[in-house]
Amino acid sequence: MLKEKIEKHLLEVQKPSRYIGGETGSIIKDISKIDVRFAFCFPDSYDIGMSHLGMKILYSLINERENYWCERCFAPSEDFEAVMRENDIPLYALESLDPIKDFDFIGFTMQYELSYTNVLNMLDLAGIPVFASERSEELGQIVVAGGPCVCNPEPLADFFDLFILGEGEEVNLELMDLYNEMKKSGATRKEFLIRAAQIEGVYVPSLYSFNYNEDGTISGVETKDGAPAVVRKRIIKDFDKVYYPDNFVVPFTEIVHDRASVEVLRGCIRGCRFCQAGFIYRPFREKTPDTICGETKALCGNTGYDEVSLVSLSTSDHSQIDEMLTKLIDYTAEERINLSLPSLRADNFSEELLEKIRKVRKSGLTFAAEGGTQRLRDVINKNVSEEEIMNTCRIAFEGGYSAVKLYFMMGLPTETDEDIVGIADLAQRIVDLFYSIENRPKGKSVQISISVATFVPKPFTPFQFEPQDTREMIEHKQKLLMDSIKTKKIRVSYHNPDVSMLEAILAKGDRRLCKAVYAAWKNGCKFDSWDEYFKYDKWLEAFEECGIDPSFYANRRFDYDEILPWDHLDYYISKEFFIRENKTAHQAVTTPNCRQKCSGCGVTARTGGKCFE
Amino acid sequence: MNRVRAVFEKKDRAKYISHLDLNRCMLRIFRRSGLPIWYTEGYNPHPYYAFALALSLGFESSCEILDFNITDDEMSMEEIRDRLNEVMPEGMKIISVKPQRKKITEIAKAEYAVSLETADPEKLLADVKALMASDEILIEKKTKRGFKTVNIKPDTEIVKCTVNDSALEIVMRLPAGTQTNYNPSLFLDSLKNAGSQPFSVKKICRTGILRADNKAFE
Repeated sequence: MLKEKIEKHLLEVQKPSRYIGGETGSIIKDISKIDVRFAFCFPDSYDIGMSHLGMKILYSLINERENYWCERCFAPSEDFEAVMRENDIPLYALESLDPIKDFDFIGFTMQYELSYTNVLNMLDLAGIPVFASERSEELGQIVVAGGPCVCNPEPLADFFDLFILGEGEEVNLELMDLYNEMKKSGATRKEFLIRAAQIEGVYVPSLYSFNYNEDGTISGVETKDGAPAVVRKRIIKDFDKVYYPDNFVVPFTEIVHDRASVEVLRGCIRGCRFCQAGFIYRPFREKTPDTICGETKALCGNTGYDEVSLVSLSTSDHSQIDEMLTKLIDYTAEERINLSLPSLRADNFSEELLEKIRKVRKSGLTFAAEGGTQRLRDVINKNVSEEEIMNTCRIAFEGGYSAVKLYFMMGLPTETDEDIVGIADLAQRIVDLFYSIENRPKGKSVQISISVATFVPKPFTPFQFEPQDTREMIEHKQKLLMDSIKTKKIRVSYHNPDVSMLEAILAKGDRRLCKAVYAAWKNGCKFDSWDEYFKYDKWLEAFEECGIDPSFYANRRFDYDEILPWDHLDYYISKEFFIRENKTAHQAVTTPNCRQKCSGCGVTARTGGKCFE
Repeated sequence: MNRVRAVFEKKDRAKYISHLDLNRCMLRIFRRSGLPIWYTEGYNPHPYYAFALALSLGFESSCEILDFNITDDEMSMEEIRDRLNEVMPEGMKIISVKPQRKKITEIAKAEYAVSLETADPEKLLADVKALMASDEILIEKKTKRGFKTVNIKPDTEIVKCTVNDSALEIVMRLPAGTQTNYNPSLFLDSLKNAGSQPFSVKKICRTGILRADNKAFE
């Protein structure tokens, strides 16, 4: 048995409780009564993966079905991977401690481009062929993926049997039901995949082939075995009634987000033009305050967490935010639970709301201003004006705050040096504002932290056509920003531009990139999202070995009429809308949010005229 | 307010819960149980509870001690025990809940059952005897100010040694509590260095928390 083998070496590694299961809330079933086994794999360490809400939802959802068993699996850290390889311990699931290679489904959630090599490493550790084409004809070991990155799954196409597009709450069970039925009738892997491709939201990459023009762009996509020409993502229609777990697996070791989390809304009305999440999770749907409150109580009661966080892309866009917060603050205060409220936007803070929030919130203020000048903020449709930022800061400073965090992006479309200097100017004006306020916090200095990310063009956004700045351009802008800051009260931190470039390549890549992902992993790349493991030189070597020019994907403007690697996938938003929005961006004209005015993104056309109440 | 002392076991997979993690885990156990546990009354009120001794990562125990206060004086000890047991993680179980009798400072020793896997248990037993017959057992103990050499011989008691097919089972007592704490791994390291028979540690279980007169601490 694997357990003995694991335990023999467990005390040799860091944080062993990550590798042995047994946490409160983990679900153990009698294997003799199970028809379909699903290994839910997160391609990063336990500490990160256990913080992921989607996994918690789907884990509980699948396990509600008596004859299905979903278990968890994470990427082992370097020390434990060495132990596993040395002692022939295959990658196993944490509930049964059985090897995942014996499971029916091996499902990965793809949250981030820089976790791709971890998928290959985990499949290899599991003893599962990394290439889908090399897996047995027998039905079993179906390797699937979902999550935001699969909106362009092509750079992963060779490694997966199928992708699940959109929300998984319904389609996962449909897929498992089909599998269960076909397994009993003795079907092959291929037969199953052909049938699965008929389920809405399921994309089977082996049934699609790409042809290319001489200039490297795509000339066409062919389908076979009756697979649909366009695969549409799945959405949950009645979001207020959608399944939500009343219990989480509560880890022993501290994880990144170690708290109960409750989803308050899905989708976003804002339409910031760089933001993939703002488009791929449309339409906007919300839960009622009663549902949110009920889910909070159930979760806190069952897990014993003394902290709960509201999860959404923009919590303050909830149409009943006041009622919701009042109810939640009453409950959490009584039960001595900390309520954490991320994703609150600057532009609709009222003094009244801020007062409520201040009762529960101890951290500083964070604004995602994204652009340094109003012109650039109009380009990206980040409808936050300087006046609003200043107003919110004023209220906050008068209320005792002295630290402000500002998020910006660098390398945005149409950006000039003036916009970069604008970042420093904006921060300086906030410093000045602080000292102009009579009743500012006494004896305290103001601290402005600026965090600057490099813009990454992403599929299914109006900026999907845009080139990314080259390294030289980014370095110039970074230096300019540093030179423009005159005070120590403003601190600047950057993201590594090489990381952002790799993100862009993988986000916008096509199927030819699969061999580069494979080569990079073979060259020793894994945990690419961890600074200490990121090896850009190994990636560049991999691209060269495979004859791939990374700038073709990252630094080239994609034409409006070019066939994009993700054009055969339908995320409810039309390409025409993205083209229209891209043009509007270049004119520095904003688009109203969905509540103000429908901009015809395509959701209503596809759902039959209804977007949100 | 009822000051109570729970004795609990921590076995199997629960032995991989570190002391730091156990603190957090206990807080969640209390919250799940819904017991009326007493909160501190300072600026930042938090549930009050304290473990008598820390247990090393990887050690099992049949006798861990946890003190806390219950605000409901009417609540029976059995109810407290049962409500906690309903929400304990796998491998952890409350054995008893009783009123606190002695002060934590009266803890003087802990008893451990150590199981050593080896090809020749008889020979390993001879090594143990030889080590215990020596004048001193010097170890490097980590302190706040770096390392310090300590002779653990005078305070190390071997209660019993049992030889079976492939293992040597040792029951030993070592100083524990607020003053001096010796971890059994210190003795085992010395045994490994001084002896000739190789072994691997199969299991270490704390089996008793004792007062100076070898009576169980309650």
